Amino acid sequence: MEVDADAGGGSLVLLKQGAEARVFESNFVGRRCIVKERFSKKYRHPSLDSKLTSKRLNAEARCMTKARRLGVATPVLYGVDPVLHTLTFEYVDGPSVKDVFLEFGSHGVVEERLDDIAAQIGDAIGKLHDGGLVHGDLTTSNMLIRSSTNQLVLIDFGLSFTSTLPEDKAVDLYVLERALLSMHSSCGNVMDRILAAYRKSSKQWSSTLNKLAQVRQRGRKRTMVG
Amino acid sequence: MKAFDISNGDTLSVALFTDVTNSKELLDSMQAGTLEPEVAFLNALLIPDIFPVLAAAHKTLLSNSRGSLTTRTLHSELVYNYSGSKHITESLKRCGISDSSTYVLAARFNGSPDVMKAIAALISGKEIELEELEGKANVAQIQKHYKIPGPELGISSLADAITCRIAARDAL
Repeated sequence: MEVDADAGGGSLVLLKQGAEARVFESNFVGRRCIVKERFSKKYRHPSLDSKLTSKRLNAEARCMTKARRLGVATPVLYGVDPVLHTLTFEYVDGPSVKDVFLEFGSHGVVEERLDDIAAQIGDAIGKLHDGGLVHGDLTTSNMLIRSSTNQLVLIDFGLSFTSTLPEDKAVDLYVLERALLSMHSSCGNVMDRILAAYRKSSKQWSSTLNKLAQVRQRGRKRTMVG
Repeated sequence: MKAFDISNGDTLSVALFTDVTNSKELLDSMQAGTLEPEVAFLNALLIPDIFPVLAAAHKTLLSNSRGSLTTRTLHSELVYNYSGSKHITESLKRCGISDSSTYVLAARFNGSPDVMKAIAALISGKEIELEELEGKANVAQIQKHYKIPGPELGISSLADAITCRIAARDAL
């Protein structure tokens, strides 16, 4: 009887630490994986804290799998641990769109590749929005390009929610537009190419893009409260 | 037969059988609780790859270590977890074996070579390699059971889609 050598469980290597969670690299039954741990906030009341943490953990798992059902690639979810507040998912091998675009900025734009990536971004967001899912944190660092297939993979659904309002979708696009402007202005007008693909992919593009024009005038927040 | 390390030294040993003729007896002795050694039988038509089974095994061992199994035994929990649904009876019916099953995956936690031999002796059928899983899986039945829509298969393999459902069940 053969035993598969490299064990599961294994060691955790810290990759990134954010305000809401820590991200580790590890091993899940023989595959490379990412573990995202939502830690508790000591400044919150303990019972409120555990409620919020597990609610957000489950919401993230739900939104990730919902995106897949809509035909948008996200990392494969391997496990959810409600006790340790961790999500375990596939390690996607490849650079982030942010790295690719920054590379374009410093070494010249490869038009063909830029077109392909922009088209994939627009198509993916269109599918999410038509399915009633808003990503909530569309930035180029939350998009990966899988090296083996050049497929766009969306990550970090920690701020995602379901909504069919044009307002929410427009804000989603607006956040991306601002991010592109501030980080990647040397790549030319990527947003136009993304929106062109979005128009093809989303059936409800017209109401969303009308709203986007309004959001541009006034910014992300609808009311001046808070 | 093959053994996989799941976590902290716990292993899952699996063996795939085709042309099984005594599934009714196996089912009867299992329901009577007299099956010795204890083992999980899975409907292999719903298994396109071994990885989702390992993910379900990982989940099973985790809840076992916390003393929070949903079903009565460790091995029935594996079948329940593989189903990706919260309905225990329905899970065991669809993902376990029935009277007429002929194609079965046997799985056992921490099975020594002797125990695995005893399990192979229980089953009257022909043991085949795990590589056959993909070709013999019933895609239509899998898509229906796990509710996998067409667009999802455009970006994901069948096995990955099942893994997501197993992992996300309790979050839904």
